[in-house]
Amino acid sequence: MNASILDPPDFQAATAAAAAAARAHTEQTDLDLAEQEQWSMSECGFMDPEVQRTIRSASGAEDITQYPLHGWVDVTAEFHEACAELLPGELAQDMLFGLFEAMSAIEIMDPKMDVGMGFDKQDLPPPSFEAAVAMGVIKLDELTTAELIGIFDALFACFVSWLEGNSMDQVLFTCLYLHAPAQIQDRPLRAFCTAVRNLIAVVKNIIVMAGVNEEEDFQLYGNSALLAAEKAQPASIAPMLKEVEDSLVRKCKQLSSPEDSMSVVHRLRFMRHLFQAIYQVELMAGADSAEEAINDIYKNLNVASELMPLIRRTIDRGTQPVDGSEAPNPMGFSPRIHDRSQPPTFPRSIKIRDRPSSYQFLEEMISRFKYACKIIRHKDYYSALNFFIEYSRKSGQCILSRSVLQSLFSSSIRLVHGKQPMKQFLRHSVQIFNSPPVLNAKHPVASDPKVQQHLETFFRYCINMNTFNQFIRICGFNRARQRDKLARLIENFDTIQVDAARLDSLMNQLANERALEGNELHATALKHSTHFSTWVLYNCFRAMLIFLMSGFELELYAVHEFLYIYWYPYEFLVGFLVSALTRTENILLAQEEYAEHQSKIQANGSSSGGGGNNSGKNRNKTAKPRKNKKQQRPYRCEIVYYHALLSLCGGMYKAMAALTKDGRVRLPMSKFDNEEIRYNRRFLPFVTLTSPPPVSYAEFKNIRDHMMRPSVEELYTLAAKHFDQARNVLESIQNPEQEILDLLQIARTNFVVMNVLARGHQKGLKRQPDFDFSKHNYFPIIKLK
Amino acid sequence: MNKSLETTNTSGDKKKTQISDSKPSSINVNSFTPTPIKENIEPNEELDDEIEITYTDFHDESQLKIVQSIIDKELSEPYSIYTYRYFVYNWPELCFFACHGERYVGVIVCKLEPHQTSWLLQGYIAMLAVEMPYRKRKIGTSLVQMAIEAMIDRSAAEIILETELSNKPALALYESLGFIREKRLLRYYMNGVDAFRLKLWTRDVTPQDSSEDYV
Repeated sequence: MNASILDPPDFQAATAAAAAAARAHTEQTDLDLAEQEQWSMSECGFMDPEVQRTIRSASGAEDITQYPLHGWVDVTAEFHEACAELLPGELAQDMLFGLFEAMSAIEIMDPKMDVGMGFDKQDLPPPSFEAAVAMGVIKLDELTTAELIGIFDALFACFVSWLEGNSMDQVLFTCLYLHAPAQIQDRPLRAFCTAVRNLIAVVKNIIVMAGVNEEEDFQLYGNSALLAAEKAQPASIAPMLKEVEDSLVRKCKQLSSPEDSMSVVHRLRFMRHLFQAIYQVELMAGADSAEEAINDIYKNLNVASELMPLIRRTIDRGTQPVDGSEAPNPMGFSPRIHDRSQPPTFPRSIKIRDRPSSYQFLEEMISRFKYACKIIRHKDYYSALNFFIEYSRKSGQCILSRSVLQSLFSSSIRLVHGKQPMKQFLRHSVQIFNSPPVLNAKHPVASDPKVQQHLETFFRYCINMNTFNQFIRICGFNRARQRDKLARLIENFDTIQVDAARLDSLMNQLANERALEGNELHATALKHSTHFSTWVLYNCFRAMLIFLMSGFELELYAVHEFLYIYWYPYEFLVGFLVSALTRTENILLAQEEYAEHQSKIQANGSSSGGGGNNSGKNRNKTAKPRKNKKQQRPYRCEIVYYHALLSLCGGMYKAMAALTKDGRVRLPMSKFDNEEIRYNRRFLPFVTLTSPPPVSYAEFKNIRDHMMRPSVEELYTLAAKHFDQARNVLESIQNPEQEILDLLQIARTNFVVMNVLARGHQKGLKRQPDFDFSKHNYFPIIKLK
Repeated sequence: MNKSLETTNTSGDKKKTQISDSKPSSINVNSFTPTPIKENIEPNEELDDEIEITYTDFHDESQLKIVQSIIDKELSEPYSIYTYRYFVYNWPELCFFACHGERYVGVIVCKLEPHQTSWLLQGYIAMLAVEMPYRKRKIGTSLVQMAIEAMIDRSAAEIILETELSNKPALALYESLGFIREKRLLRYYMNGVDAFRLKLWTRDVTPQDSSEDYV
């Protein structure tokens, strides 16, 4: 082993600390990563017990070739004797030897399981950095520009492959240059390799801090000894790269054809800006102003993306990987160097992306980051949540993009947009959402101590329950995990709902008290308050709808299940959403009118009896024309969208009913199947909610049986009507986005298909149609075969 | 758990009496309807229409090789011998074969254990394979039905399994029996392919008891 290994006690303590940190990463609040200068073992997250053991024994200066050291006893004879008691096939099984152990065990020498079988006896050991230098197969100085470009491009490809879930050791650290950049004499290469090493550490930190990764997304841990060998100094990377770039540019000026050298410069510059952007994301937690920090990040991303075409155009200037070789570049890579140090699992095939598609990935990643920067504009929960939902839909595949958005929005569980406390953010969000007078600082009722106390309790509860924050975080997970997590989230909404309803009723009580006291202004502001429960309910409905519909995207629903899945949003959920938003708009409207009324009274009062300078100010305020009627309907777009959704759900529900009745839907054999159980399971997360009240299978069955009474033809016609309504609503939307156009196509096509079926097309053929979800995640185009 | 293991004794006894008999014995398994089942659903070119498939359970060490050979041929994942032994020797009563004459043409391997959190008995279909020329004859469906019945007899509350996203025939088979796709498992297999967790509930347990199910 090499000298980079730390003392065992330090190492173990550090590893334990890392494990604790990983467990607690969601609760980390003030960990200032900027202060971490060095790659400790812990940072490298090196926790594989197998390798730990190796390191421990090695660092304890024990020589394994000297075993056995102690009084070992030969038990072969006893073992065979004991075995004789067993019948063929009988097993002595340890209590702790379970399925996991059985599945992880490998059969030695079986090429399907044993990594070692990939080696030939004649194979030389894969070259290490030292060996490669000694053999002269890697150059440390005076690399040609083609060699530099080849190595840089290959390293970017490795970086991308790592982000896609491959092990760091098996992609990035197959590059021998990364093992000891300090020994590289060539300055551009040394700077670039040092940058890559730092980039690895920074990216890992961001992903750990964001905590939206799962084992299937990303392999966090790798051979830390390699990273630990040299100090990490992320702050020094940009200046270092800049210096190398500048000296190269100076050289270029003396060249007659500087294009090749400039291609090297462009790559170094691209690395600098990409690194800087990502490093600044890591530093968000300590930033004084989130706006400024995000601005800087955005600028760096812009430069990086501008360099992208220049780089992609010059890929062919670099050395290219040899055909049939596993190495991503002819020089500097040793693809199998870590095969022997991998944990003893089945061999996994490692695919390193090719260069053009790696740069494509980086280009798309940079635009995802740029898009993520826009989160800074979303200052309230409603719009931030919408942004996260949209972002997940568009960028859900890339773990780093998802983590970056989390970091940009909230550096800890209690803070958002830099240093704004979560509680304040939520207060502000309710105010933006439906503007309760009690949250309006200018309204005298807001300073009522009782009101303040109730509000404080409620928002503290929201924070402690973490439900709202959690909803946003869930949007950061991969799409499959989101569904599981939403199910739990929905259950949590119930307690918040209860609390919000209590707050609303306290406000109403208080209204009565103030009315008795003769405080008309306060009483009016407090009366008929449903602000808080509406806000909570609305968010709960959102979670429910996403949960339910995500089953289509994940292909979880069998065709015969479509009926009850579409029925629920059609009959209840979408209607709830519409009424929550309508109610909110009405509240806003009423308040606006009341405020106008009040200001008129005030204006009249002040003009009649006002004193000199004071009245001037007042007049200025009231004189402003309040012509923002349009803003009083801030949810109109969303309401229209839900109207379309409602019709589409209705159309699908009735289409499924018609198709089922028509005998065109394959139903499960009745022997083991039980529709009631299936129904209950699909809606299980909703059962715990008080509001909306759960709908039993019996109720569903009643409604369905009633609905299915008409003839098949009539049912097809009914479904067609819904699709027609959806079309009408969707066509009324001005400047429609792509999603609306897609939904429109679905509505139109299904309308035609339903009409065709209503007319008795293919009457004799009882074939199940295709349900093509390629246009939209939630709604299929029904295709007759 | 103990109770379910005690019921296995019938096959355990057989193990002793029928050592080193590799031929499939005609079926006489306790709970489910004795076969032969006549299969004539879809004609197959290579085989007669009216072939007779018999079903048998696991009762002999030599059958382990058969399990291995059928599964290895048909599944993408390599399983070590420990995995086979783990299932087949812990739950021999939940391992069934389909035979055409003396030839083994299909196998199902299952286990039955209490769920980690709810303590309800959960069945798990670990492996199912039918040899290529014998497919489309509902042999797989029959094997799964036998396994389900055997597990229900042993009080299984639910039965789960995983299958590849792209394995349409398997998905259709299980769904026709009432399984639902409960969960999508991203990059579940070594080849990076997604999987579905499928589940069948054999009775309606109160949801609260197993709220962990969708966790």
